[in-house]
Amino acid sequence: MATPGRLSKEAFLYLAQQAGLDSADPHMEELYPYVVNVLASIESLAQIDVSGFEPEMAFAPPEVQATSVDPGPVG
Amino acid sequence: MEPLEICYLSAAQLSGLIRRKEISPVEVVTAHLDRIQATDGVLNSFITLLPEQALAAARRAESQIQSGQYRGPLHGIPVGLKDLFNTAGVKTTSGSRIFDNFIPDQDCTVASRFQQAGAILLGKLNMHQFAYGPTGENPDYGHMHNPWDPECYTGGSSGGSGSATAAGQCTITMGSDTGGSVRIPAALCGIVGLKPTYGLVSRHGLTALAWSMDHPGPMVRTVEDAALALNAIAGHDPKDATTSRAPVPDYTSALSGDVRGLRIGVVKEYFEAALDPQVERATRKAIETLEELGANVSEISFPMYEESQAISGTILMAEASAYHRELLARDGGLLYPPVRLRLEAGLFISAADYIKAQQARTRFNRAAAQLLEEVDLLAGPTEPVTAPPLLSTSVDAGGQTLGITAALTQYTRPYITGFPAISVPCGFSEEGLPIGLQLAGRPFDDLTVLRAAHAYEQATEWSKRRPPI
Repeated sequence: MATPGRLSKEAFLYLAQQAGLDSADPHMEELYPYVVNVLASIESLAQIDVSGFEPEMAFAPPEVQATSVDPGPVG
Repeated sequence: MEPLEICYLSAAQLSGLIRRKEISPVEVVTAHLDRIQATDGVLNSFITLLPEQALAAARRAESQIQSGQYRGPLHGIPVGLKDLFNTAGVKTTSGSRIFDNFIPDQDCTVASRFQQAGAILLGKLNMHQFAYGPTGENPDYGHMHNPWDPECYTGGSSGGSGSATAAGQCTITMGSDTGGSVRIPAALCGIVGLKPTYGLVSRHGLTALAWSMDHPGPMVRTVEDAALALNAIAGHDPKDATTSRAPVPDYTSALSGDVRGLRIGVVKEYFEAALDPQVERATRKAIETLEELGANVSEISFPMYEESQAISGTILMAEASAYHRELLARDGGLLYPPVRLRLEAGLFISAADYIKAQQARTRFNRAAAQLLEEVDLLAGPTEPVTAPPLLSTSVDAGGQTLGITAALTQYTRPYITGFPAISVPCGFSEEGLPIGLQLAGRPFDDLTVLRAAHAYEQATEWSKRRPPI
């Protein structure tokens, strides 16, 4: 189990509540160390130099089919 | 022909017999239903079995073929779908009792395309709950059992698809692969599993795990059957904006058996990681076989291999939790505890970390694309170990103890590129458990992946072995 250095228990419970979880649920005692471990496992992300790289899911507008629209009376 | 022999014929073999009217779809479906009846008490591959519906469809297929309306190589072929592919009028649980009463009113695109091709749906297959796990555990519908040793994991999340195909319960099954969920059970159950290029097969009507990483893919006993299945299901779908508009080739055209001149890069990081010596020997031998067939084999380094786990983990967890957020709030207590923990943990990943992981994925993909200019395929083991015992939480891989999830996704999660990858049987351990060779290629070059896998398969006998069940 990782040392809970990055995320304090208080911060965890606050975030849990914000995320819609019941922070008073005894299950939080199990979730807290799990979350700490997960966050530790992705810490190496911070070491990756991503300057110049856009996210893969950069937004692209959908294609729209041309339709014949009645412009209504002219003039 | 003996019913068991029918169940172990490939789709290609069956379709020849059906087309020539030497065997009827009713006979084929009956043989498979009997096989399921005889083996599923042990394997637990199915969540929902559709005997009446399947036999009615078989009778229709027989009548159509008799009257000259043969639809093609999947007409009359028995298929099974992982239970996260929506099927009109048939319950689709995603492996959770929470959805025991969910009956979609529309087919997903894959089911619809199989139906158009004349394939016959036998049922819906067991899976790791919400596809969120690599082992094939399921407390709601019972754990899946490996046909080579029922006391071992099938692998997941498409475990029922793996066991059903390996045991001759279905000719073709479909799984979905986010971090390895087609390739893992394919390797552990001794079958062929293809993760097609992202965007080649529609995700419309599938329960998502991670939208940007989910790949529906066929799980079959021969590479030719993977090509036949892909022919039926690949191609643009207006209902899935991420599907490609590129023309779909005939994937069976790849099956020339010729790999002369093909450049295969052996990923050295794979062999530096924790790895069972039996798996290493079998994989190296398989690569030697490809070299003997004329491929140019060289050792290469996979850039950012180490970082890929953090990149894929961040994206997968964040997307899965976003998708299931309402479910968590409403029914979190009804979820399988390990799945609940994973889903809840994803809620703690910040938007900034998620975006950074997507940026890192761009960088990773560029590096992988550059690597695939130097070689045509990447090769290595699919799994570092053979099927672990049921409910084990850790494994020994070459003297190192690994957590079960880390171990089973060690070689499958790095493929966050959306590039195609296949697992093809390449040997057995002394305990009689299957070993898989993984080959990965360039995006939309699924043909080359299939070509190499087929050439290897034809040069060896591994795919002809049957499990003892």
